[in-house]
Amino acid sequence: MPVVAISEYKFPSKSRQELYGDDQLVHVWWKGNPWFVAAGCFRFPKAMPWGDFVGVLKGFYTADPDFVPDSLDSVQWVIDDQEVTPDPSASMEANGVGHKSLVQFSV
Amino acid sequence: MSVPTQKPVRKLSMKQRYSALTHDLDWPLSYVEEDDAFPYTKFEGIKVHDWSKWEDPFRLTVESYNKYQAEKDRRLYAVLDGFAQSQGQLSLSDASYMNAMKIFLQGIPSGEYQAHRNFAHLARYLNGPGARFASLCQSMDELRHAQTEIHTLSHYNKFFGGMHDWNKMSDRVWYLSVPKSFFDDAGTAGPFEWLIAIGFSFEYLLTNLLFVPFMSGAAFNGDLPTMTFGFSAQSDESRHMTLGLEGIKFMLEQDEDNLPIVQAWLDKWFWRGYRLISLVAGMMDYMLPKRVMSWKEAFELYFEEQMLNGLFKDLAYYGIKPPRDVEWAIQEKEILSHQVYWILYQFSHAAAFTTTVPNAQDQAWLAEAYPETWPIYKSVVWDKAQKVMDEGGRYFNPGLPQLCQVCQIPMGFTEPGDPMTQCQRHSIYEGERYDTCSDGCKWIFEREPEKYVQAWLPVHQIYQGNCGGPTLPDVAVWYGLEPGDGGEYVGSMDQLDWAAWHASTVKEG
Amino acid sequence: MSVEAEPRMVGVDLQENEENRAIVEAVEADNEDLTVRHMPGLIRLTKPGRLVINQASVEQRLGRPWETHEFQLAIVSYFGEIVEWDDDEIVIAWKH
Repeated sequence: MPVVAISEYKFPSKSRQELYGDDQLVHVWWKGNPWFVAAGCFRFPKAMPWGDFVGVLKGFYTADPDFVPDSLDSVQWVIDDQEVTPDPSASMEANGVGHKSLVQFSV
Repeated sequence: MSVPTQKPVRKLSMKQRYSALTHDLDWPLSYVEEDDAFPYTKFEGIKVHDWSKWEDPFRLTVESYNKYQAEKDRRLYAVLDGFAQSQGQLSLSDASYMNAMKIFLQGIPSGEYQAHRNFAHLARYLNGPGARFASLCQSMDELRHAQTEIHTLSHYNKFFGGMHDWNKMSDRVWYLSVPKSFFDDAGTAGPFEWLIAIGFSFEYLLTNLLFVPFMSGAAFNGDLPTMTFGFSAQSDESRHMTLGLEGIKFMLEQDEDNLPIVQAWLDKWFWRGYRLISLVAGMMDYMLPKRVMSWKEAFELYFEEQMLNGLFKDLAYYGIKPPRDVEWAIQEKEILSHQVYWILYQFSHAAAFTTTVPNAQDQAWLAEAYPETWPIYKSVVWDKAQKVMDEGGRYFNPGLPQLCQVCQIPMGFTEPGDPMTQCQRHSIYEGERYDTCSDGCKWIFEREPEKYVQAWLPVHQIYQGNCGGPTLPDVAVWYGLEPGDGGEYVGSMDQLDWAAWHASTVKEG
Repeated sequence: MSVEAEPRMVGVDLQENEENRAIVEAVEADNEDLTVRHMPGLIRLTKPGRLVINQASVEQRLGRPWETHEFQLAIVSYFGEIVEWDDDEIVIAWKH
């Protein structure tokens, strides 16, 4: 439904991908772990290899004292509601991660 | 010589005075068209046939308005003076109480000011004199509220952290984008939607949840100035509630075509307002050292009993149904405050208030107020947070959270019936993905995507480099945060100062 | 027209202070089935159906003239609808 307005009402998104250059925003959700109250929002290069991305997460989630970094090696990844088996050497983009995509896992 | 018989001067009744001093001061336009003089009251689709049907039950005139507002201010400022002279800040229940007031001061006066501006707009641009005058009174009230809140809290600013740059903060800091975007959303709508958004949904449906238990809480925690400005503001609020109720009934009575438009606004603004005051839930249950009632109890009393069982039965006469997401809000009353405070706790290093693990006394109260849900949160998060503290650490979330595109709150709310799974909703608009925290916010986004794609989401703005720099210290400087404003309460400047003031009091005594 | 088993509640919250005590007493005297609840700083008066504040009753207890506009200094909140606010009385009820 269009906005009811006194004149044409059309504005660009304030968080469109082009504002981040070669990067994009990625949401990462450790489902079922309330220690992290919400999914995290990160800015990563689209070309970043999936394996490097997982490496960053292994550091990030040490904020949970019960976290075992190697556990991320055997989780089922879900990107935008699709279960996937990412290729660690391929880029995040090639693995199907888009701007503001939701990458989720459970341990 | 005969004395001319003089009729005794008859005093006008309240009704006559009101009519003479509002409606009778209006005049029909002679050389401009009505639509040119009042260009904003048609585009929203609301049909009005007779503006004279707008009634103000308060029957206020300028004279009576000035007289009673002046008296309210006199009473308030007498309390403020007495409090300052007697060093009243020393008799608060605890320094940690001020955290609730910090959020209030950082978030609310700017909202009051926004309300002042928009009601001033209505005072000029509504066609009917009764509606214009009621809007004018509310506009002046809102300005008074902003001023009295600032004056009240300026005394505390001399003694506690977090209040020095509230104005800048309200424009910039992540959690304050929640109230800011709420008022921006309402203020950029047309005048009738504004009336339903603020006048009705916020002032009538929800404001009691914000003010009454909270101000009663201020009274309970030795905060006389806040209690007094709160009750003083709230006495105006009764008029604002009346304006909102009058507004919705006026629209519904003028034309039956108005019903679906009003219902959709009501559905939207109930949810927007409800999400906004979820911050109050966290404050009430976790930030007041002495509590009057729980969020859950306040919600049952002020919303379920008064609104659902009272007001909505009345509005059913016009075909109005309770807001579309009301059931979601009802089931959330058991968990809302736990979730909000857990958000505030783990991001308070980037805030102008402090948080801490609930102490034994707090935990006993929470267990009694929330026998079903507190044990879950205690075992899953708070015992662990305490353990981190015991080992010399303090848990802060090391990253930035995903935010809801509509309410702008970090996406920490959970699926109904499943308090461990955060609720994730998404919409695709023109090829771009947008995230929302609930069915309510998703519905609002999809109803007007063009509006919400413009949202100034603090996290995204940080990543675009618009908030002072790439690191948290850069952002903190840009926010106006100073050392001691945020983080952990235990060991904070406020807590140390508080202990020192009371130690010296004892010595002197 | 539907017949309701019992009329819906209406109510008003007042600041707790010396002057308002006279108003509370007047409301108590003029309204049967009134429930009074005390909270810090606040008195909550509720009643099924219809709640009336009479100028004459308040004046009698205050011992001075009292215009109904003064009620604005006492009220913190209400629920129901203000169906009448005149020189001699204020009435809170639901219309439908």
